[in-house]
Order: sequence, then structure tokens, then C-alpha cells
Amino acid sequence: MTRVLLADDHRLMRSGLRLVIERHPGLTVVGEADDGRQAVALAESLKPDVIVLDIGMPNLNGIEAARQIAAEHPEIAIVMLSMHSDEGYVLRALKAGARAYLLKDSAEEDLTKAIEAVCDGKSFFSPAVSQVLLQDYMRKLQRAGAEDSYDLLSGREREILQLVAEGKSSKEIANTLNLSPYTVETHRSNMMQKLNLKGIPELILYAVRKGLIA
Amino acid sequence: MLLIAGLGALATLHQLHDQELTARKDFLVRDQCLLDFRSTLDVYGNRIDEYFLESGDVQARAAGDFATLARKIQGCLRSYPENRGPEERAFLESVQKLLVDQQQTLNTAMAEDRPNEPERVSRLLYSQAMPRNRQLITATERVELWNHNRMDAASATAIQTFAGFQRHLARLLVIILSSGLLLSIGSIVYILQQDREARIRYAELVRSREELSKLPASLLDAQEQERRSISRELHDEVGQSLGALLVDLGRLKTAVPPEDAAAQEQLARLKSTAESAVNSVRNIALLLRPSMLDDLGLIAALEWQGREVSRRTEMEVEVESTGVPDDLSEDYKTCVYRVTQEALNNAARHSGGRHAWVRLEKESGPVVLTVRDDGHGFDAAKTRGLGLLGMQERVRSLGGKLEVFSSPGEGTTLRAELP
Repeated sequence: MTRVLLADDHRLMRSGLRLVIERHPGLTVVGEADDGRQAVALAESLKPDVIVLDIGMPNLNGIEAARQIAAEHPEIAIVMLSMHSDEGYVLRALKAGARAYLLKDSAEEDLTKAIEAVCDGKSFFSPAVSQVLLQDYMRKLQRAGAEDSYDLLSGREREILQLVAEGKSSKEIANTLNLSPYTVETHRSNMMQKLNLKGIPELILYAVRKGLIA
Repeated sequence: MLLIAGLGALATLHQLHDQELTARKDFLVRDQCLLDFRSTLDVYGNRIDEYFLESGDVQARAAGDFATLARKIQGCLRSYPENRGPEERAFLESVQKLLVDQQQTLNTAMAEDRPNEPERVSRLLYSQAMPRNRQLITATERVELWNHNRMDAASATAIQTFAGFQRHLARLLVIILSSGLLLSIGSIVYILQQDREARIRYAELVRSREELSKLPASLLDAQEQERRSISRELHDEVGQSLGALLVDLGRLKTAVPPEDAAAQEQLARLKSTAESAVNSVRNIALLLRPSMLDDLGLIAALEWQGREVSRRTEMEVEVESTGVPDDLSEDYKTCVYRVTQEALNNAARHSGGRHAWVRLEKESGPVVLTVRDDGHGFDAAKTRGLGLLGMQERVRSLGGKLEVFSSPGEGTTLRAELP
């Protein structure tokens, strides 16, 4: 049974989400928080498997709460819930430790998929978010007249990009591709350099933009 | 006044000169006359001596000359200038009379035979002719003396007149100088007074300007507060309720059997209406006050703003920042955000550029915001839009300064410096 903590300052929203989650077999809501501070406290006391965090909350917003929870309990998977599809929110949510980013518009359809994905150690993004990120990326490339840096990657580097974005560690990737962890590290750092990415959150964002992960 | 005084002085000098000249001419004419008279009188006296003391040819020539000399003497007297004073006239009359008497004596002497009566002749000579001749000379000398005196008197008068004129000039000069001095003092006093009034008026102007400048700042502040509360209200209340509605609609969809096509269609319509309502509310709320500013901070909000402009317009915006602390005060965040928003909107609307760069940096000193575009620019000296004024007001209310550099064909750079 996957234990879920719900944090949203709107009671209506919370009760709606609770119904969506509980209808799904294998998922149960173990607690509800009104604001960020309470979410951090409940994460500490309840030790849920997944926390669904609304970004716009009083006292402590969802991103700050995620940062604190991820620092204390990296084993708790975080699904960020937001009204904003903008990259600024997505990137900051990822940097704060969230693995999934959901728009409230589509929460009803995607929430259970997102919870399942993060439990598997994968990422999940609302299709609308992926689309906005992709559009921004394509427009920028087109206007700059620059070539897509993805084309610079070798086949091996592309494979590794995909696997890193899906949440695999270098060791797991080495096993999957039958390479030494050292070689994987080298490919990985070359790939990051070619794409000018700093850190996993940016890499995940990039993968979402390119439509490599959902 | 000086001119009049100068002209007066010139006229007076001219007059003085004329007077002196006339006096001198008078003197010279008279002197010449008297000189002729004297010399003729000398010759006359010599002839008289010759006549009485000599004999023969010399005596005869002297007798012959008497009439001529007498006429010449008369001529001299006649030629004496007409403008004679009473004293002078008296002198001349006495000379005239002496001359007539002398002539008579001589006539008497010539009418008699000298050899017969030598005593009588010498008597005539010694008792009448010679003294009379001396008298004549004395009289002439007196006239001469009088003439000289008159000349001296004229000179004295001239000197006196000149001295008077000098005194007059000095007086005039003193009057002119003192009136000039008074005038300058009056002008200085007037200027100082005007200056003081101008200073007072300027101080008043500055004060009222300061008061006026506080008004827009507080208005901007109130506007920002209002926007934030409306935005929050929209986002938190309306937006969240619509979000909950959407979730419930989704659940209803699964509750309604899929074969009930009419109900499913109606549900889909409801969902799309609710979705567009959510989008509208979100957009309005973001325009009023981007929640990033409060949720994620200034840099995130600027990046979002840049992406928004890139999405909406043909202009691609890049945002970068260095060294800007997260705990920037609310006023600063709002100011930088609004100035950037206005600047980017201006650039997108008017510059015709394809790129814009937003740069926010803080090293040791002030926070510096630069917004640059590659558009066609404008004449910064002439153009002063209302948008610029609003930005300036915001920056000024925090004690900063805002500058716009632009010239046609050069793009535009806006630079705001906040202490």
C-alpha cells in the first residue's frame, strides 16, 4: 500500500484529490496539511511514501517545503502540484527535490499516474507542461538560428541522457548498457557539457522539453 | 547727463576762448594805434625842436612837415577803435585838445618872424610847445597804461570766469557721480531683493515638487498592494475553487456510464468551460501580480517575464543575473520587476528589435538593472513617454536613478541603479 500525504491550503481541492487517490487500488491518503509548515511536520511524523505538495501555500510555499522535506527525507517522493506551467516553477520544483510536476487542471487524470511513476523512481510531467517547455525550447532555437545541441550527441550519449532523465543511477545505467561505471561517467559528463546543463534538474527539464520522458 | 555736461563745458570753453580772443584783438588794435600815435608824436616833437632851434633848410622842412604830421596824428586818433569807454574817451578828448592847442601855438610861431624876436620864440618853445608835447606824450602813455590795465582786467576776468567754470564743472561732476552712485546702490538693493524673492519662490517650488513626487510614489505603492490582494484573491479563491471543480468533474465523468453519450458530452463541455475559466483567472492574476515574485523570488519572476514576452511577441528575451541576494526587500523586487516589465513591453512594442537582454547585478554597491534591445532606437533627448515617467517615479522613490541611452539606429539601453 502506498501511503500518500496531501498538502493543499484548499479544503475543496484536498477532498477532491483524496477521492481521486483513494479510488485507486494500492493508494491511501494518510494525512492532509493546510500549509507548508504543517506538511513538513506531518512528513516528519507520518513518514509517507509520497507527498503531493501544492506550490501556492501560505506560511511556507510548496517549493520551500519540498526543499526541507527532501533534505531530511530523501526517500519520500514528491509530486508538485501547481497552476503554473512555466519553466521557472518546473525547474525550481525539480531543484527543490520534486520528481513529478502536475498542473491542477489535469490533476484528476494524471495524479495517480504521477504517484506511481515517482514511486518507481521515475519522473512525471503533465502533458501540458511538457508542451510548454518544448514550445519555448523550439522557439528559442528557431529564433537564434542555432542548431539543436541534441544533434551533437552521439548515440551512446543519447541513451545515457534518456536513462539519467528516467532517474537511473550511473551504476544502474552501466549494468543496463553493459559498460563500466567509469565509461558511463565520462559519457555523462561529455553529454552534460555539450548540452550546457548544470545538474540533474536541468537535465530532466531538457529531457522533458525534447519529449524524451513524459 | 554726462553728455549734456560735456557739451555745456565745450560751449563754455568756446565762449571763453572767443572772449579772450576779442579782448586780445581789442588790445592789439589799440596798442598798434597808440604805437603809431607815439611814434608820430615823437617825430612831431623832433620837428618842433628843429623848427625852433635850427635855421635855414632844416627849419623850413620842419615847418613844411607840421601840417602833414598833424593830419597823420589826427588820422591815428580817428583810426582808434570806436568802442571806447568813458575814461578812454576822456583821455582821447584831452589829447585832441592838446593837439589843437599845440597846432595853434605852432601856427602863431610860424606867423611871426623868428629872428626878430628870439626870446619870444624860445619862450613859445619852452613855455608852450615843449610842455604841451610832454603833456601829449604823458596823455598817450596814460592811454597806453589804461589799455594795458584793461587787457590785464580782461585776462583776470577770463581767469575768474574759467575758475568759475571749473567750479561749475566740479559741482556737476560731483552731482553726476553721486547720482550714479545712488543709482547703483538702488539697483544693487533692487537686485538683491529680487534675488531673495526668487530664492524664496524656488524653495517653495522645490518643496511643492517634493510633496508632489511623494504622491505618485504612495499611489504606486497603494496600486501594487491592491493588485497583489486582487491577484491573491483571484488565484487562491476563484482559481482553487475552479481547480476543485475540475477534479470533481473528472470524478463525475468516471461515475457516469460511458454509454450515456449525452451526459458524457455535456460533462466534456462543462470541463472545457471550467478549464478556460481557470486559464483566464490565472492569466489575469499573473498580469496583476506574478505569483513568482512572492513564491520564487525576483530572478524567477524576471525569467518568467522574459519568457512571457518571448512567447507573446517576436522578440526573444534573455535574462541573466549575478550576485543578487534572495532577501531583496519587497520594494526593490516590485520596482525592478515593474521597470523590467515596462521596459520589455516598450522594446517589444516600439523598438522593432529581435532580441532583448535583461541583466540584474549587484557587486559591492547598488543593484543595477540593465534592459537592452537591438531595435532601431529613438532620440532619447526628445522622446519622453509616460511609461518612462512611471519607471522614473518608481526608481526615484527608492532613491535610485534611471537613465535611458538611445539614438536612432543604435538600439536602446535602459539602466536603473538602486542604492
